[in-house]
Amino acid sequence: MSALLEVNSVSVAFDGFKAINDLSFEIGGQELRAVIGPNGAGKTTFMDIVTGKTRPDDGRILFGEPMMDLLRLSESQIARAGIGRKFQRPTVFETQSVRDNLMMALAGDRSPLAVLRYRPSGGDGERIAALAEEIGLSDQLGRVAGELSHGQKQWLEIGMLLAQDPKLLLVDEPAAGMTLGEREHTTDLLRAAAQTRAVIVVEHDMEFVRRLDCKVTVLHEGSVLAEGTLDHVTANSDVIDVYLGR
Amino acid sequence: MRKPLLLREPSVMIFISLLAAFTLIVTVLSEGFGLGLVSTSMIKILGKTLCLCLIAIAMDLVWGYCGILSLGHFAFFGLGGYMIGMWLMYERTKDIVLGSLAGGALPATPQEIEDAIGTQIFGVVGGSEIPAIWYFADSLAAQLALVVLVPGLLALVFGWLAFRSRVTGVYLSILTQAMTLALSLYLFQNDSGLRGNNGLSGLQNLPGLTDVPQSIVSVWFFLASALALGAGYLIAAYVVSGKFGNVIRAIRDDEARIRFMGYPVEAYKLVVFTLTAVIAAIAGALYYPQAGIVNPAEIAPIASIYLAVWVAIGGRGRLYGAVIGAALVSLLSSWFTGGQAPSIPLGIYTIDWVDWWQVLLGLGFVLVTLYAPNGIGGLVDRLVRKDAS
Repeated sequence: MSALLEVNSVSVAFDGFKAINDLSFEIGGQELRAVIGPNGAGKTTFMDIVTGKTRPDDGRILFGEPMMDLLRLSESQIARAGIGRKFQRPTVFETQSVRDNLMMALAGDRSPLAVLRYRPSGGDGERIAALAEEIGLSDQLGRVAGELSHGQKQWLEIGMLLAQDPKLLLVDEPAAGMTLGEREHTTDLLRAAAQTRAVIVVEHDMEFVRRLDCKVTVLHEGSVLAEGTLDHVTANSDVIDVYLGR
Repeated sequence: MRKPLLLREPSVMIFISLLAAFTLIVTVLSEGFGLGLVSTSMIKILGKTLCLCLIAIAMDLVWGYCGILSLGHFAFFGLGGYMIGMWLMYERTKDIVLGSLAGGALPATPQEIEDAIGTQIFGVVGGSEIPAIWYFADSLAAQLALVVLVPGLLALVFGWLAFRSRVTGVYLSILTQAMTLALSLYLFQNDSGLRGNNGLSGLQNLPGLTDVPQSIVSVWFFLASALALGAGYLIAAYVVSGKFGNVIRAIRDDEARIRFMGYPVEAYKLVVFTLTAVIAAIAGALYYPQAGIVNPAEIAPIASIYLAVWVAIGGRGRLYGAVIGAALVSLLSSWFTGGQAPSIPLGIYTIDWVDWWQVLLGLGFVLVTLYAPNGIGGLVDRLVRKDAS
């Protein structure tokens, strides 16, 4: 299996604190991966580095086919190269309609002049309708996104990410604050998304990770502690020591 | 299917109709073209107000829609005025100089003419040389191009530097204000080549058309201002109504999020900042010939702050809100400060509105911010929505 994303011994320190310490990580083209770890393990910093928000002090990050160096690209260039990110707090554009939120996210030319001349085509309308169906918001397209429930906003955001059609999807704690039914729907969405692309889910809810039923990477103090099935890593004595704390 | 612009944004049709009706009525009532019920000075006030509405639309676009609180757009407005003012002043002075030299025994040489023009224009700052920046001043076409180019390039370079460094929010506001202040202070210098604090004057006189009375010229400028405002409204509505409008509102609401969606935020800001600077400059180029004079005090930071106040009072993020705010506040301002508002005697103290208007405006701004955060336009929205439901 050739890797889609290769993170090679990356380190980053904030005021001397090593948030990420010699981290190496790899994920294939169609894979669902859960990244878990205690608070301060560097999960969010890891995402910040991959999406270009934080520049690492050291190391290399390669992405795509053919492999390109992500450290040379800006945030928006990385996004256009095919990496989508979902933040922990649902961030949709609250003053705009669900349809407009999805329309902006749809893959396409993002330069100002192209967007100024943009005319919605029938194909775009169908794409939006299909996405709305998938995230269960078909009857909410005309609503202002700010009126949606917390769970609906999370789905809208996932829908916006799917609309971008990224090769790699980074999802930060998607289940936070969701009801049980909403969690099940979210699990389905993520697993379906991973059929055609790579998905990395950062989560510390073990129950949710079990439901995802995928390979797990455990982070601790900025590096990989263990990797494997959930049962495998939870049986690892190091993991039990630092994470499960029992 | 995408509806045509006029139907997509209902406010566009209403606005253009109202503007056309207003323009027609004022023209029919004017001294120059009709019944003479509206005085020439009133026509000038109305024409200038239309220009202020146009720059308010630019401000709304850059601040209300794109979230960039620029405190420098009046600098672009003033620069537009200076650029057209150079042609007006040069050509008019040339007419006068040619007239006075015509009586001489020998025809005047080009050098004599130029010296005479230089002395006329720059005598007031102790010079007689025509500075290099006046090179194109004898060409209307060139100066009209400079109206767009000078403020446009300034906005482009300034915006590129500021946005590229990710300067946002209040820091960007301070930076734009610093730019305005620097420009204003530079123009105040006598050797800036633009007559220091005297500014450019006599701009109400059109070169070569001295026989045409001001009552007619004022209506010409009034009509041109109305046309520019209508065109500006249409352009702004076109920009904000499509996907571009969605994206710049998204930049206003959550810049980081839209960046992670792959949009080059800095490029969008630069486009909006430069476009609005050009609109502001065109508004200024129409305003100052009606005002008759442009000087560095016009570019002082306070003017740009007033502009933000107009847009806030009128309602940010609504084009008609900006127009309402600018028209209302600037007309009230000229009424209160023009000495027409009756003073209020309180026995021991008399409220003289020339002094107290600023206090009233400040109070109004505070009240609007507290009780109608969406401005007057927000109240209109509420009424419209009530009708619809």
